[in-house]
Amino acid sequence: MDIRFTDCSVRFGERVALQPLTLTITERRVGIIGLNGSGKTTFARLINGLVKPSAGSVTVNGLDTVKDERAVLSEAGFIFQNPQHQLIMPVVADDIGFGLKNRGLKGEEIDKRTQAVLSRFGVEHLARRRVHELSGGETQLIAMASVVVTDPKILILDEPTNQLDLRNRRRVADTIATLDEDTLVITHDLPLVENVERLLLFHEGRLAADGAPQETIRHYHEIAGC
Amino acid sequence: MLTSLHIEGNSWLHRLPVRAKLLALVALSILLFLTSSLVVQLIAFVISGGLYLSVGLSWREALKRVGFVFFTIFFLAAVNLFLLPLNEVAVLTLRLMALVLFAAAVTATTTIGGFMDEITVLLTPFERLGWVRAADVSLALGLVLRFVPDIFTRYQAIREAHRARGLPVRPLTIIGPLIILTLKDADTIAAAIDARGFRRQ
Amino acid sequence: MNTRDLVLIALFAAIVVVLGLIPPITLGFIPVPITAQSMGVMLAGCILGAKRGAFAFLLFILLVAIGLPVLSGGRGGLAVFAGPSGGFILGWVVATFVTGLIAQRFVREGQAELHQFVGFFLASVIGGIVVLYAIGMPWVSAVTGTPLLAVATGSLAFLPGDLLKAAIATLAARAVFAGYPLLPVRA
Repeated sequence: MDIRFTDCSVRFGERVALQPLTLTITERRVGIIGLNGSGKTTFARLINGLVKPSAGSVTVNGLDTVKDERAVLSEAGFIFQNPQHQLIMPVVADDIGFGLKNRGLKGEEIDKRTQAVLSRFGVEHLARRRVHELSGGETQLIAMASVVVTDPKILILDEPTNQLDLRNRRRVADTIATLDEDTLVITHDLPLVENVERLLLFHEGRLAADGAPQETIRHYHEIAGC
Repeated sequence: MLTSLHIEGNSWLHRLPVRAKLLALVALSILLFLTSSLVVQLIAFVISGGLYLSVGLSWREALKRVGFVFFTIFFLAAVNLFLLPLNEVAVLTLRLMALVLFAAAVTATTTIGGFMDEITVLLTPFERLGWVRAADVSLALGLVLRFVPDIFTRYQAIREAHRARGLPVRPLTIIGPLIILTLKDADTIAAAIDARGFRRQ
Repeated sequence: MNTRDLVLIALFAAIVVVLGLIPPITLGFIPVPITAQSMGVMLAGCILGAKRGAFAFLLFILLVAIGLPVLSGGRGGLAVFAGPSGGFILGWVVATFVTGLIAQRFVREGQAELHQFVGFFLASVIGGIVVLYAIGMPWVSAVTGTPLLAVATGSLAFLPGDLLKAAIATLAARAVFAGYPLLPVRA
């Protein structure tokens, strides 16, 4: 991936969520950590254009998040914290198919791709299940499948293991590790980002540390005071 | 919780295209309201009743579906008996029952998908005017079906929490929190929909 | 329409469905049991406003029409529209719109609590009762042949229950307004 922040800052009314930042990311596995309110979520949302910069610009693989809004959404998939909010159709296969239908694909092709992506995540047996009946881990995996099925180049995952028990965390973590797409993972779950190529630490709207995971995590402990 | 009223079957009405059924319902309504002939209403009632009963529902289920409407019809018919001649009351009552039975038969033999396809076609002129998008209606429908079970679970959770705290379980104290907690999710759900690029044209 | 409004409309329609699953309340002095769902019109107008509230009910009516048993008591399908109450159900959309118009016009953040209560109550009564019956009753009369006067007289039995509903809806709407205001302002 090639993500560039150029003098980018974000303010919501009076509050400065992100101080001016200039940064380039080319690694394949990136992690983002920080205390609540540190700006990490705002940073992540700048990448797929959910949040627009108040000043400066963000480009993703050459596309500007403001000028090429639609293309950026195709380029960068975003998986939200609470998978419950992510799935919008009552039956699993319909949710996955909805994104494909929207891109103009037809019945057979949709079924084929749905099957393929569900298999990839090891949940093909859940295709006709009602979303309401899924466990937390299953919901998160299906939410990921529903985004991945539209072939984004980059995946941004916002606290993907937030609501999960230990076993499901492992399951989701293992799945993320095997993804072909480039990934940016925001998390409080430190084991999830121990092995990334580059780990960013945000604090009070600024980039407080940036580099190898061990070093950044150490820095995080210092900031958190524990 | 949200199983549609369509039942599987292979009756004549099942095989009739949705549009034909809907047009027939409209035509029947117009016809029956234009005439005050008792014979016509009676024939319509018998045919509609026959169609409804041929659809494949058990007697109990068939009755359950139209029971409440029939109750209102009979109640008002009883009132009418004091105010209108018997012949006229018969016409009015048979007419309504015929329409209700035919409508119920259409509902039982048409799938949600079938209805939605028709609605998509019906919406085309409005889509051209830019008033509404058929894709948005499908999305909205999906969203409702998706979230009803979650909201119901939430209702039960609130009720339980009230009981646990010894609070009286009154609708007033539950409806407020239920609505707030549910509507608060709208922002994230909308963000997720936008992030998947669902509504860009 | 932005996505957020679309989602709010869909979520509210879903809420109305769930309201239909709450058992009706029978109170001694009121002849007809009160269903939580019948407060839906007043709630939608007061909470979402005229346009979104009306759309929410349009969506709800669509659910009924396509054969989902979402009306209180597990009723649904086209049969409902063919019967005497058809006018009331279709009238929900207009009633919600009027409720919303009045609520948006008269209720603001920062007003005295009493002022907000009165605003929501007025909106609920005028939209949810007056306008609704103005549509529903003539429909009953036209469809069943019962003279309008008889229908109106009979409908009086529902009035105490409806006023109580308006009161409950007012309190609930105000609670929602205080906790998560969504009502758009209308000059």
